[in-house]
Amino acid sequence: MDCRVLSVQSHVVRGYVGNKSASFPLQVRLNTYDADYLNEVFLLLGYEHWKGQVLTADELQVLYEGIKLNNVNQYDYVLTGYTRDDSFLDMVVDIVQELKRANPNLVYVCDPVLGDNGAMYVPENLLPIYRDKVVPAADIITPNQFEAELLTGRNMSSEKDAVEVMNLLHSMGPDTVVITSSELPSPLGDQYLVALGSQKRVTADGTMVTQQIRMDIPRVDAVFVGTGDLFAAMLLAWTHLHPNDLKMACEKTVSVIYHVIKRTITYAKEVAGPNRRPSPAQLELRMVQSKADIEDPAIVLNALVL
Amino acid sequence: MECRVLSIQSHVVRGYVGNKSASFPLQVSIVPRRLAAQYTRDYYVIVLDRLAGGERKGHMVLGFEVDSINSVQFSNHTGYSHWKGQVLTADELHVLYEGIKLNNVNHYDYVLTGYTRDTSFLEMVVDIVQELKRANPNLVYVCDPVLGDHGSMNLHPVYKNKVVPVADIITPNQFEAELLTGKNISTEKDAVEVMDLLHKMGPDTVVITSSDLPPRLGDRFLVSFGSQRILMPDGTRTTQRIRIEVPKVDAVFVGTGDLFAAMLLAWTHHYPTDLKTACEKTFSVMHHVIQRTISYAHEMAGPGRRPSPAQLELRMVQSKADIEDPAIVMEATVL
Repeated sequence: MDCRVLSVQSHVVRGYVGNKSASFPLQVRLNTYDADYLNEVFLLLGYEHWKGQVLTADELQVLYEGIKLNNVNQYDYVLTGYTRDDSFLDMVVDIVQELKRANPNLVYVCDPVLGDNGAMYVPENLLPIYRDKVVPAADIITPNQFEAELLTGRNMSSEKDAVEVMNLLHSMGPDTVVITSSELPSPLGDQYLVALGSQKRVTADGTMVTQQIRMDIPRVDAVFVGTGDLFAAMLLAWTHLHPNDLKMACEKTVSVIYHVIKRTITYAKEVAGPNRRPSPAQLELRMVQSKADIEDPAIVLNALVL
Repeated sequence: MECRVLSIQSHVVRGYVGNKSASFPLQVSIVPRRLAAQYTRDYYVIVLDRLAGGERKGHMVLGFEVDSINSVQFSNHTGYSHWKGQVLTADELHVLYEGIKLNNVNHYDYVLTGYTRDTSFLEMVVDIVQELKRANPNLVYVCDPVLGDHGSMNLHPVYKNKVVPVADIITPNQFEAELLTGKNISTEKDAVEVMDLLHKMGPDTVVITSSDLPPRLGDRFLVSFGSQRILMPDGTRTTQRIRIEVPKVDAVFVGTGDLFAAMLLAWTHHYPTDLKTACEKTFSVMHHVIQRTISYAHEMAGPGRRPSPAQLELRMVQSKADIEDPAIVMEATVL
């Protein structure tokens, strides 16, 4: 049976962020996926210059109307990421809620993009919308530490804090939470960063269990754009295959990112030349070149069950 | 050495036409790595390790890099009962191209275009192609000159006088080939003459994707033609012409022409001087995708019922293996 994803994200002509980062991997990952892409923005990010056009909330609604009028508004997943506009985000929530009425089993995978490293990079008025409307409608969220703290109003200085924050996020709605990166110290040293995950589920006999995991991920000395979008898309794919095993789903997801990043950084350094910092163009994710790793990633790290 | 395509086509949220039909297949296509930094579309250096099966090894395989400019964003194609969305204007197209240019990344190996509704948009596309060709004289412009069977008559002079002259590969159907050349095709001889006329207008590679000519294999087939002008290493010019008969399918598909142009790009890239093989591979991919689609559509519709446009959406992601490595299911005859 077909699995259909509605992905509402940016489109860039060149490079891999938003829908460009999500579509190819989702389409190759399982050839039972069909992915519908609703593009919010068309431009190039992260480079010196960027130009393009933005979709308004009204235009988003018009596109959704088209799908609805044809009676094809049935989806198994919705996937969203970076958004800058509050009315656009509101409209996305309305659409998700309607799609959930049409299919109560729909899974909404949401990357609640607010900022990083202590600073917001979207308008501040998006925070209450994410906190009060979006996250409550979401089933899987992929905040970084900063976003997890903002959404819960709680700081994370220790693994214990992280577990409490993830539990708070569960109580807001999503049964699956992955904190994609944090400042917590890794037992493997400062060449690693710590990511965490938590999944609440009901077992066959009706009891509620929570699986919590920690991952120590090798750091890479470069700034990549689009890896968060790739992460959310891959987490969608791997939790679809392993709905009750967050450890496995995360190991696969993180491994895919690792392979793509490694290929990218190698290529970027080669093209830039010795002792030169690669440019944003050179650091575009080597997405199509990583097809085999996306289809079947070698696992490169083990998640620890807490 | 990567291979970068700029594709300027429609985007639909749901389904497979335009850029949706072109991107995924081009991205999963297996592109042999070329050691030669420069190659012309006339002849090229084949990497030895490709002959040794190197193209199957992970580290040797590259997909096409596809940069896509969406000329429209619609909910779905216009064969459904309803469609809604937004169109990109010529100015907005220019703005996007500006962004690419300002970053100094306006270097492409291919440009791919298809269905366009707007003359000023089409003219802007031509300007962009010409500029890209100045940046890379080896750029190959693959153009599906979509004039259809009924209209867009105001686009016809733009295609004839401006677009086709800068194109390197074109994929007209019979109607479009006749319109562009002003000559009718009633026989194979006519088809060859029309293709020669099209060569004179610019493109070295012409594929007439479908025609009404009577097939030799019977009326369950339709006849297509191809012609390619090649510059030999000794400086002489030769033309390879082919005829290929493909099974007809009793359904209306949308997006197949876009898939065809994208796959012809991929397979002529593999076989730049062997149109016979490039066409056999391209038409075979089409066959597999269409067969899978029609089986699925009939299953979904149920016995005795005509499948809907939604049910007839190309089974694109499901056909990945066929796109990567199509079993050849038809043979082209060299004329």
